Amino acid sequence: MEQSVKIANRNSIISALIYGATYVPTVWLLKHHVLSRPVSLVVAIVPVITFSIFIFKLIKAYAVMDEVKQRVQFEAVVIGFALTTLLLMILFLLSMCGISNPGWFGYAQLGGYCWLFYFVGWGISIKKYGL
Amino acid sequence: MKNTIKVERAKKNWTQAELAKHIGVSRQGLNSIETGKFIPSTVLALRMAKVFDTTVEALFQLDDTEG
Repeated sequence: MEQSVKIANRNSIISALIYGATYVPTVWLLKHHVLSRPVSLVVAIVPVITFSIFIFKLIKAYAVMDEVKQRVQFEAVVIGFALTTLLLMILFLLSMCGISNPGWFGYAQLGGYCWLFYFVGWGISIKKYGL
Repeated sequence: MKNTIKVERAKKNWTQAELAKHIGVSRQGLNSIETGKFIPSTVLALRMAKVFDTTVEALFQLDDTEG
């Protein structure tokens, strides 16, 4: 059991690193318009695939966690989801008022905030259960 | 919810790590249960009662405020 948990954790970390290694160069290539549009579309799919694999491995790692760690992950996701929704609502309402800042709150940044909120939730939950 | 896990563990002369291994949770997870921060599932409570050769009711009791 302990061994399977370690393997699942290691696999999810490796897949996260692979995702990061594909995402950063993809963004650089797309941002600098060095590729034609059809090739750009193909390149853009690469991090989508690696991210999907990462999520799959993460869910597999979740399945072999003990129930205390599963609760921590669950609460982290709930808090992360709630805060992300709150942020999206605020940004929507601000955009209706004609106020927006794509430099700070563009699509790419929103993904980052989503992960940030997840880690905030994780920290809160870890503290709550004394892990 | 209060519990007597620490007492039962002392009777067996087990560390948290040893008990955690017997019931299939992490040591930190067991510590969280033992200190009352996390209420375990029925399955885990039954598993714990089994390794201590006791009942779930003997291991876990409601606080006076919980009725």
